[in-house]
Amino acid sequence: MIAASGLSKDYGSGRGLFGLDLEVAPGEVFGFLGPNGAGKSTTMRLLLDLIRPTSGSARVLGLDTRKDSVEIRRRIGFLPGDLALYPKLTGRAVLDYLGQLRGGVDKRVRDALAERFDADLDRPVRQLSTGNRQKLGLIQAFMHEPELLILDEPIAGLDPLVQQSFHALLQEVSSEGRTVFLSSHTLSEVERVTQRLAILRQGRLVVVDSLENLRKVAVQRIEIEFAERVPAQVFRALPGVREVEAKELTVTISFEGSADAVVKAAAAHEVRAIRPREDDLEDIFLRYYREEPA
Amino acid sequence: MSWPVTRIALRLRLTSTVSAAVGLIAVMLMVGALFPAVGHTIGKLDIPSSVANLLGGADYGTITGWFRSEIAVIYAPLVIGALAITGASAATAGEEEDRILALVLAHPIRRSRLVVAKAAAIAVVVLIVAFAVWVGLLAGVAVGGGGISVGHITALAVQLAFFGLAIGAVALALGAGTGSRSLANAVAAAVAVLSWLVNSFAPLVSAIDWLKYLSPFYYYAGHDPLTRGVGITGLVVLGLVALALTAAAAVAFDRRDLRA
Repeated sequence: MIAASGLSKDYGSGRGLFGLDLEVAPGEVFGFLGPNGAGKSTTMRLLLDLIRPTSGSARVLGLDTRKDSVEIRRRIGFLPGDLALYPKLTGRAVLDYLGQLRGGVDKRVRDALAERFDADLDRPVRQLSTGNRQKLGLIQAFMHEPELLILDEPIAGLDPLVQQSFHALLQEVSSEGRTVFLSSHTLSEVERVTQRLAILRQGRLVVVDSLENLRKVAVQRIEIEFAERVPAQVFRALPGVREVEAKELTVTISFEGSADAVVKAAAAHEVRAIRPREDDLEDIFLRYYREEPA
Repeated sequence: MSWPVTRIALRLRLTSTVSAAVGLIAVMLMVGALFPAVGHTIGKLDIPSSVANLLGGADYGTITGWFRSEIAVIYAPLVIGALAITGASAATAGEEEDRILALVLAHPIRRSRLVVAKAAAIAVVVLIVAFAVWVGLLAGVAVGGGGISVGHITALAVQLAFFGLAIGAVALALGAGTGSRSLANAVAAAVAVLSWLVNSFAPLVSAIDWLKYLSPFYYYAGHDPLTRGVGITGLVVLGLVALALTAAAAVAFDRRDLRA
């Protein structure tokens, strides 16, 4: 579906994308992870021929991204990361226009999507919240039922309920054998929907693996509040534990892989609360982010 | 060409275009109504020819001179130039800066076709304004007591339309080539104003008289369409400039990266 080889875009002073080799198979929901500025959007813009590579090349649906760009764009759906729409037009007018650019789309599909996301199509875009605008972005990406979806930070700004319908939609799309390539800067956003992940760091690919394998090495951090002071040493020697910090009644523990040992050790004391800590990718994938690229 | 692109670009410019058209007609009616009362008493101004040239001769004693000075050399080209320039830069660089083009160009449309479709929308805007000038002149001249033939009024409107197309194409090429709306607006406006100044001042100094041939304004008004009808050379030059710059816009836009 997507095959990049040595794909590079050099913006100078170390920014851009460097030598990306990547394969996304048909029917996959593939997550493209990296902190802001890692090169995710750059990759997607290259695939759509919005920008041109400094070197290397990519094929989408077996077609060359430079020579066959129009045909590729006919068959894919794209959600830009910083979605912008005509502020004066209503959602419906915007979707009509984008549908016309595709030579017409099935209105029933569009309306079903609008209903699913509970999107307001009759108000001018400038009156819509970020989340409601994002719904329009999702509808336009899915409304022509494309074979491949390229979605740049699709979950940003969506409220939890809409996130759920979005996840359900992704599952349907994937079960129909269609492919999704989506980016995010947080693991929690994509771990429920993707099968495979690529992690990008400063324009370079650091790892491509299944979610399952990556979870094994992902660092989780939890905060446990006890009824009495519990020394940090209780947790330090446990398998997988990388860091323990005790402060007053609260102990913060970072560990790789299973939480089992940590939870069982904690259970020996009176536990008042357990809070998971949302971490940046850099903290979750310490082992990839700490190593300097060769 | 892509009709949806042209339609949406037009739809977004329609309010400003129609209000400008209505305004033009209203102003020309007032100018026409003032002529019987004021024109004859002002007569031909006794002012330096440099200033007179800026005002299209400053001959307020005849209805042709009155309309030439009041409308043809300043007001009409100013309005048509402003709408063509802002429209062209908004439709290309403006949408790019607003990040809308990144989504539009994720759809199956060639960049060159997008540019041509935007150019077509600007051309329609220009034609609407030129038509308003034609209507306004017909009405204004009638109110002022008549004296300019329909043929000469039509000639001015046609010449003006071509001027608008050429100036709009300057902004289109700059906007499509650079992706900067402010640069497209500023440079195209500077070109328009300079061309007006050059056309007015160059003929006063024989050494630089030839400069007027570089001025789009000369090809619009140099022939004096209100007295002498259509100037074919002017139309050909302005038309070729518009076509060449639109083609350049399409090629330049096709070759570069879209702005992030």
